[in-house]
Amino acid sequence: MSRAATAEDGRGTVLSDTAILETQGLTKQFGGLVAVSDVSFRVPERSIVSIIGPNGAGKTTFFNMLTGLYRPSFGRVYFNGRDVTRRRPDQITAAGVARTFQNIRLFGTMTAVENVLVGQHARMKSTVFGSVVRTPFVRREERRGREKARELLAYVGVKPERFEQTASFLAYGDQRRVEIARALASDPKLLLLDEPTAGMNPQESEQLTGFMHQLRQDRDLAILLIEHDMKVVMGVSEQVTVLDHGTKIAEGEPQKVRNDPKVVEAYLGKQG
Amino acid sequence: MESATIPARPARRPRDVVAEFISRFGLIAILLILPVAYGIQDLQNEGDLSRLATNIKDGLSNGAIWALIAVGYTLVYGIIELINFAHGDLFMIGSFVSFTLMGTIGLTVATGGFGLFFGLLLILVLAMVACGSLNVMIERVGYRPLRGAPRLAPLITAVGFSFILQNVGLLWLGGSHRGVPDLIESQKVFFTFLGVPVSHGDVLALAVTAPLVILLINFINLSRIGRAMRATAQDPQAARLMGINVDTTISFTFLLGGLMAGAAGLIYALYQTDVWFFAGFTAGLISFTAAVMGGIGNLKGAVLGGLIIGIIQQISDNRIGTEWTPAIVFAFLILILVFRPQGLLGEQTREAG
Amino acid sequence: MTATAQRLRRNAQAAGPRSRTAARIATAAAILAVALLPFFYDSGSPFIEDSTVALVYVVMALGLNIVVGFAGLLDLGYVAFFAIGAYTVGWFGSSFFSSRNIHVGVAEQLTNLPGIHLNWLIVVVIAACFTALAGAILGFPTLRLRGDYIAIVTLAFGEIIGRIAVNSDEGVFGIGDFNLTNGRRGITPVDKIDLPFVERFTTLDLRPWYWTALGLALIVLFINFRLRDSRLGRAWIAVREDEVAAVSMGIPTVRVKLLAYALGASMGGMAGAFLGSFYNTVNADQFEFSFSIFVLAMIILGGLGSIWGVVLGAILLSFINTRLIPDVLNTLPSEVGLDFDLTQLGFGIFGFLLVIMMVLRPQGLLPEKRHKAEFAHAGDEDIVREVQA
Repeated sequence: MSRAATAEDGRGTVLSDTAILETQGLTKQFGGLVAVSDVSFRVPERSIVSIIGPNGAGKTTFFNMLTGLYRPSFGRVYFNGRDVTRRRPDQITAAGVARTFQNIRLFGTMTAVENVLVGQHARMKSTVFGSVVRTPFVRREERRGREKARELLAYVGVKPERFEQTASFLAYGDQRRVEIARALASDPKLLLLDEPTAGMNPQESEQLTGFMHQLRQDRDLAILLIEHDMKVVMGVSEQVTVLDHGTKIAEGEPQKVRNDPKVVEAYLGKQG
Repeated sequence: MESATIPARPARRPRDVVAEFISRFGLIAILLILPVAYGIQDLQNEGDLSRLATNIKDGLSNGAIWALIAVGYTLVYGIIELINFAHGDLFMIGSFVSFTLMGTIGLTVATGGFGLFFGLLLILVLAMVACGSLNVMIERVGYRPLRGAPRLAPLITAVGFSFILQNVGLLWLGGSHRGVPDLIESQKVFFTFLGVPVSHGDVLALAVTAPLVILLINFINLSRIGRAMRATAQDPQAARLMGINVDTTISFTFLLGGLMAGAAGLIYALYQTDVWFFAGFTAGLISFTAAVMGGIGNLKGAVLGGLIIGIIQQISDNRIGTEWTPAIVFAFLILILVFRPQGLLGEQTREAG
Repeated sequence: MTATAQRLRRNAQAAGPRSRTAARIATAAAILAVALLPFFYDSGSPFIEDSTVALVYVVMALGLNIVVGFAGLLDLGYVAFFAIGAYTVGWFGSSFFSSRNIHVGVAEQLTNLPGIHLNWLIVVVIAACFTALAGAILGFPTLRLRGDYIAIVTLAFGEIIGRIAVNSDEGVFGIGDFNLTNGRRGITPVDKIDLPFVERFTTLDLRPWYWTALGLALIVLFINFRLRDSRLGRAWIAVREDEVAAVSMGIPTVRVKLLAYALGASMGGMAGAFLGSFYNTVNADQFEFSFSIFVLAMIILGGLGSIWGVVLGAILLSFINTRLIPDVLNTLPSEVGLDFDLTQLGFGIFGFLLVIMMVLRPQGLLPEKRHKAEFAHAGDEDIVREVQA
């Protein structure tokens, strides 16, 4: 399911030809309101792609369609070559898509480790009977799960003394990290980050940018971001797609998109 | 942040329109099963629909009572998304207040025209005020402190109040059904409409309910407080920022709901000539079904739902047996919530959080 | 959390293994004490009877706790599962279906009686299966509904089952004339429990009943602890906290919710099967809405989701119901010089306690540490609102 990339490959960046994610004509209507209109879009394998656009442009709605939370009114979504348009969110996660949320949605009464354990749900196989009887398989899986959770938390930069802390009592920055660790727990091939730098100061944003590069390398995955912070977008993306009022108005290399008059107009209004 | 053009809004997809049509008329079809089935049976057995017509007429009168109670459920749910479990028992208290006041004022079957009329009018007002104030008190004591708590908490206090009210009723008039003096000769036929005898009781139900409902709808649409109620129902935060006192608005909503329940109590007492401490439990569930059927949060829907449920209930009582009616109504409730939770007049809600 | 608190917590965890062993020993001692209790009383004493009932309520409360406490599904119709479990023992452990003649694993004396008589152990398994299925059927319509609606649907379901119980002596919903439940007259007598290797239970010696109930309670307790700390248990809590986030993490919410309903229901069914035999009668009057609220009150009193809390709540409320209310309420009024019967107030007092409990201490007596966090945030919202107002 890979056509030639619609993004223009200029000098330097070589985008993979195969797409880990592809949408065709994706549209979402709520009654009379069109939130997303006819968006066709590709995320090349192992790339870092950003979606930007003014507030209300439909970016989160778009995300929600990718993860199965909303059912598209029209159009199709393909992940790794398979049509996942009408699949349930848990099925899509099991297929290899993971996400974080714009407003952090951790399980507040669980500890950081437990949150990341939940993230592994789709990859674990313990059954009800096995859990009650605690077969060796279950005990091993639980132990390995906790180890993996701790590793992931350390990887994203959470200090060990916070591992067993209740999530709702963690500092904001740590909560964001735990959310990312939880998303990574399902071994995704595509990671969706919804405004990951919201609430961060410039140093933290820079750290996150570096982290995303590291992540892509270490874990062999693609990252799709919704982002408002232009520095981050410019610093990390290989491809930028711009949505405005639900439609795609520009797409391509970061610099090119930034100078596109349509994009400027969408953000700043008509000049003169 | 302007854009070059405002994107045109496409018409709704044919598929959506058809789905909505099927959904709404599917519900109507399910609701029609009982009347139609028994109508056909009647035509085969007796050759005319007079029995069914009487069922429907009786159903509408009973339904008026359910409609008044359903209004209370729907108003409260619309504004704070809480099912006021105790509301049905409030109605029962209204019927008890009415019964007791009849004795206090000295209304008997011998009381003449004007005395009866003004006496009942007074009782109506008092019953409404009693239930209205009781509802406001319940909200203040049991629900307001729990506004931020998980869903379960106010539901439990509601059940608690329900039990308290039932016990009050039990202590007040005992555990058995109590006969109410037939002050308006509720079974006496007033006139015949299309071959169906319409009794005093029917006229009472209509004569009290219709004005109250019309008044209420107009009040909510036209008054300042009504606007405040609607605003709070839509978005409490925004309403607060607009300077609306949300707490007072909510209390007022409970007051209105209570008023309606009190009125329903009086009608019930006169129409059924019977009051019982446990009547509120079943009445509450039936009325809640009506509110859901009409579309929870939708006032006209509650009224419509009440009338429809009344008809279904009457057909069930008359044809299948009163002991099965609650189960049948509850089965309808489950069906509605599964297949069309927004009811007849409610709108499609968003799919995901 | 302050730095000191964090340090303390770390220390507590470092002391982990030792304190865990201590807890285990304490638990074992408590269980032993409970098991030996009957020896301090006459074999037919009312105390043992009340204790047996309390243990059965522990089973029910733990079952409902899975649905409401773990998975966060407001179930107001739990009485339905009690009923189905009880009727199972009524159908398969009595002479009710007198036209049949099936006997499996029962003592000599019974083989001459008409009806279906299966050994209680078989019956309790059937009861668990029936109720698990019923739980899944009940749960199915609630899957897409929000909190309050789940409460109403489960309540409606409970009422439907209750009405079927009362009215089904001649056909169900007016169809046919099969006697399913014998209505208010009920099914009686019901076979006594007959476990292998021991004598058949009797009405005189209550100790075997007590120990069986204790065994059942311990099994259910064990299952609860294991499930709570398992993959499924975490999934339940995730679904309870934030269903959207849960499903986005790969949790199949439909399956997880139905499992909660089924498992919780099966425990109620087993308890019902025990009580049917214990009370020697299965009767529609036993299955009213107030029962569902009674069990719900136990888990709220004890602390939603907290296993030991629920056990405590069940024991407390059960004893208050069987001892305190009849004893105290009967004598109190005359001591104070009043003239009416306080047992008539049972309902209202119960309702009053529900309101007080939710307003004053909604997290229960022994809250699960998680719920402290949930209810703590409820308070925060109030503070924010006061600041804004």
